[in-house]
Amino acid sequence: MVHKKHNEQRSHKLVTHLNPKSPISEQYRTIRTNIHFTSINETMQTYMVTSPMSGEGKTTTITNLGVVMAQQEKKVLIVDADTRKPSVHYSFQRHNTKGLTNVLTSQLSLRGAVISTAVPNLDILTSGPIPPNPSELLASPQMEQLLKEACRHYDIVLVDTPPVLIVSDAQIMANRCHGSILVVNSGKTELDSANQAKEALVHAKAKLLGVVLNRKNKRRDKTFYYYGPQ
Amino acid sequence: MEEKLNLRDLYRMVKKHLVMIVAITIVAMVISGVVSKFAITPIYQSSTQILVNQADSENIFDVNVVKSNLELINTYSVIMKSPLILEKVIKELDLNRDFEVLYEQVAVSSQEDSQVVVISVEDENQETAANIANSITKVFESEIKKVMKVDNVNVLYPAMVKPNPEPIKPQPALNVVVAGLAGLFLGIGIAFTRDYFDNTIKTEADIENKLGLPALGSITTINETGITSTVAQMKTKKKDVGGKMSGS
Repeated sequence: MVHKKHNEQRSHKLVTHLNPKSPISEQYRTIRTNIHFTSINETMQTYMVTSPMSGEGKTTTITNLGVVMAQQEKKVLIVDADTRKPSVHYSFQRHNTKGLTNVLTSQLSLRGAVISTAVPNLDILTSGPIPPNPSELLASPQMEQLLKEACRHYDIVLVDTPPVLIVSDAQIMANRCHGSILVVNSGKTELDSANQAKEALVHAKAKLLGVVLNRKNKRRDKTFYYYGPQ
Repeated sequence: MEEKLNLRDLYRMVKKHLVMIVAITIVAMVISGVVSKFAITPIYQSSTQILVNQADSENIFDVNVVKSNLELINTYSVIMKSPLILEKVIKELDLNRDFEVLYEQVAVSSQEDSQVVVISVEDENQETAANIANSITKVFESEIKKVMKVDNVNVLYPAMVKPNPEPIKPQPALNVVVAGLAGLFLGIGIAFTRDYFDNTIKTEADIENKLGLPALGSITTINETGITSTVAQMKTKKKDVGGKMSGS
């Protein structure tokens, strides 16, 4: 059990890259389309992904979304703002020796810190060394600068954050990103915690685009999701 | 209002937990089957039928006599199960057990309001059961003369050892059925409880209706084969980008 969890956390199944024709990749493309629809009226470049609690699939979602967005010939940057428990670099099998915290402390430029991946058009900014004050770093003006600069070089910036109900980082980032996406785990995320997460994000004046339902049981997937007025 | 249960909810819930319900039912049936087949010592029953008449009665077909005889049967059954009789039976058969134990093994009843008394003995050994039943009859016959001045005990049907005795208990088939039903109800009960306390988000409808947020989509569980093939491909991909890997 422990071993399995460990594996899941480390591999983060980059299915959209490894198997672009699989039904799961198609599901990520559906989410990509729906995100596009929700932001059709305004220019949205930065998206933040969070979840109520840990282990609900934030990183799996953000990395796969990054891949399907990059597959649309868009330049995509994934920023790992989960400096407490970084994991984006595992998905792309990279090291986390330099990254976001180095840029925020002016040790490195953004261009010097981003790492290219095996996926064309997709770069990542790993979290970098774990800082003693992650929330303050994310709230700093440097972070705002970093996001602005990232928007100049990339079409889409995706930010991975810690769980919203555990630390305040996600709320800080939600306020700074154009759109926020909540990931919940089917059959695991309690409705109460999802509601609390929603309240927290709304309180932070986030533009909550919607919810991604992760690890949905296949047997339950008989009804198709219908987008639009019911 | 949400707690209101209708048939469709019930069906949905049973369907959702069908595997668990069936599993509990089957496990209960198997356990009860195994236990009654191997763990419980089979008990055999042997019985003897006797007719008791009061000898001094002039007319045994008098209704009142028959009636009083019927009432006497209760007395007989108490006498038959008394230490007076049973202690002698133990001595005669050289049984290695206490009076209390034997007392529990013996049942005396009258058959359908007749004057026929049935002595039933249950024992792990069919032969012992038959011997005890016959011995009780014999001892009763001799003792009742002294106790109640009755000397008319007729054995209608002595206890016999059958060649292929069927134990009266346990009854594996009955036990399995009962355990199956119990398991079924237990399973449904657990399913109910789990369903009742399950407050997790499961579908896009939950997100939209209960959370009030738009659902962007859902990702189904990546099954085991998917993971392994992913891992295998991951390894080959790793080779492709090996050069870059060490550089970063």
